[in-house]
Amino acid sequence: MKKIDLFCSAGMSTSMLANKMQEVADAHGIQVKVEAFSSTAIDFQVEHDTPDCILLGPQVRFSFDDVNAKYGAKIPVGVIESADYGNLNGERVLKMAISLIKRGSTA
Amino acid sequence: MNVAQGLEKKLMPMAELVSKNKYLLTMRDSFAMLMPILIIGSMFTLVGNLPIPAWVDFLKSTTIQGKSLFSLLAIPSACTVSLMAIFLSFEIGYNFADQLGLEDRVSAGMVSLVSWFILMPQVTEFLPQGASQPFLVESIPLAWTGARGVFVAIIVGFLSVSIFGFAIKKNWVIRMPEGVPTSVSLAFSALVPMALTFAAVWAISVLFALTPWGDAFTCIYSMLQIPLTMLGGTVWALAIAYVIQGIFWFFGINGSNITSPIFTPILTALTLENQAAFAAGTALPNIINREFDAFFALFGGGGSTLSLLIVIFLFCNSRRAKDIAKISIVPGIFGINEPVMYGLPIVLNPIMAIPLIFTPVVNVLIAWSAMSTGLVPLCNGIMLPGSTPPLISGFLLCGWQGALLQLVLILIDMAIYLPFIKALDMQFLKEEKGAETEHVV
Repeated sequence: MKKIDLFCSAGMSTSMLANKMQEVADAHGIQVKVEAFSSTAIDFQVEHDTPDCILLGPQVRFSFDDVNAKYGAKIPVGVIESADYGNLNGERVLKMAISLIKRGSTA
Repeated sequence: MNVAQGLEKKLMPMAELVSKNKYLLTMRDSFAMLMPILIIGSMFTLVGNLPIPAWVDFLKSTTIQGKSLFSLLAIPSACTVSLMAIFLSFEIGYNFADQLGLEDRVSAGMVSLVSWFILMPQVTEFLPQGASQPFLVESIPLAWTGARGVFVAIIVGFLSVSIFGFAIKKNWVIRMPEGVPTSVSLAFSALVPMALTFAAVWAISVLFALTPWGDAFTCIYSMLQIPLTMLGGTVWALAIAYVIQGIFWFFGINGSNITSPIFTPILTALTLENQAAFAAGTALPNIINREFDAFFALFGGGGSTLSLLIVIFLFCNSRRAKDIAKISIVPGIFGINEPVMYGLPIVLNPIMAIPLIFTPVVNVLIAWSAMSTGLVPLCNGIMLPGSTPPLISGFLLCGWQGALLQLVLILIDMAIYLPFIKALDMQFLKEEKGAETEHVV
């Protein structure tokens, strides 16, 4: 079971996207757990839950360099495309997450 | 788009600076922790002061063991809202410790709380009837534990935990031998840094006694809190904040995350002043406050996009706009609007920039005018959860006039958005027609 963690400013709008991604994954029998959190919870999540992939919402994209420098070597980090985010396109974001997990590192 | 790119390059580091600022993050997290307590406390005030005279008469005339229901209902509010600075004081220390990377966050919270009490003048003036000289009664004055103690709690929290953390980082601690339980060794390791902090804060309190203010609370309240709340409580300050928020949103950065850590302490203090007046039945002092900001400036999130969604449902024909409105409407009612922001998109869309930035400003100006001319009563200071839907929030805060004002504002916002979204809709329709003909070919 791979864990994909989504982060935005409050974890509210990303939770809608996370649900969509989970639906797509479940429909295709892909073994992942997608969850959404507030961007302040990144350190806590990495420490306590070790996600396999960190995705940042476009509204907190300015923190990418920071997060990537901190965790990118171990956990791949990505920024969700604005259009996919707005349209709640779970399929495309899930594909992005899977390809990031396959890459293994973004630093 | 060159100007836009240049501006984006300037705004991104600013957003990063704010979102990483230790002090602002501490304030944001602390107020977030405080909010449930304040909301619950003010619910009791609301129940005790519903705008129905028969209800209030019933509460006042029904007594249990000689105490009226009205006065009993005031207890939860007195223990939450009127003591908020005490809780805030602990939370500032607790959260600031996290920002400084201190392990012992609870001790840091206690350091902040005790330091705040050390600086507080612990007397209340009491003038008995017929006496000419007031008695000084030793006590914790409730005047300082509510909204008026908020700024002191913030400043003292930062100061005391900075000293505490400095001592810990310098390793001025008593180390227990290994094998001693963690809780015991933590208590001992906090001993020296705590003692140093309290001594320093105590010295500051003695120095304040030599000033014309007499104590730190009076000084910070009159030199900082009053001027800042007067400045932050003006309609122009709020209007400018919304222009700034709108510009950030245009670049896809959550604008209220940038401005609210700065405005929240000020607006909350203003709201609580109104609540105290409301509970006491006196005139409400402040037009601009947290509830004004939360429930009259924006409907459906940044840019006041709820009206935009309604306009799309009523007047737009393109699939693209309609699909986005469909997924956005339910979260939009509760003030979450990222789908429409990024999906339509409004972000980086030059057509939508003007309504995005100026609709909230128009709301602020109209709502302020309506309240300052007396057409609509001021917000009663009751704190509502941020996701309370419009009309309900307006009614609870200002009576039926408040709900009507919200309705009028939503209609005005719809009129502002209409020409812009129609232009975008035409563009979408053209694209959709083009795609169809391509299919046919």
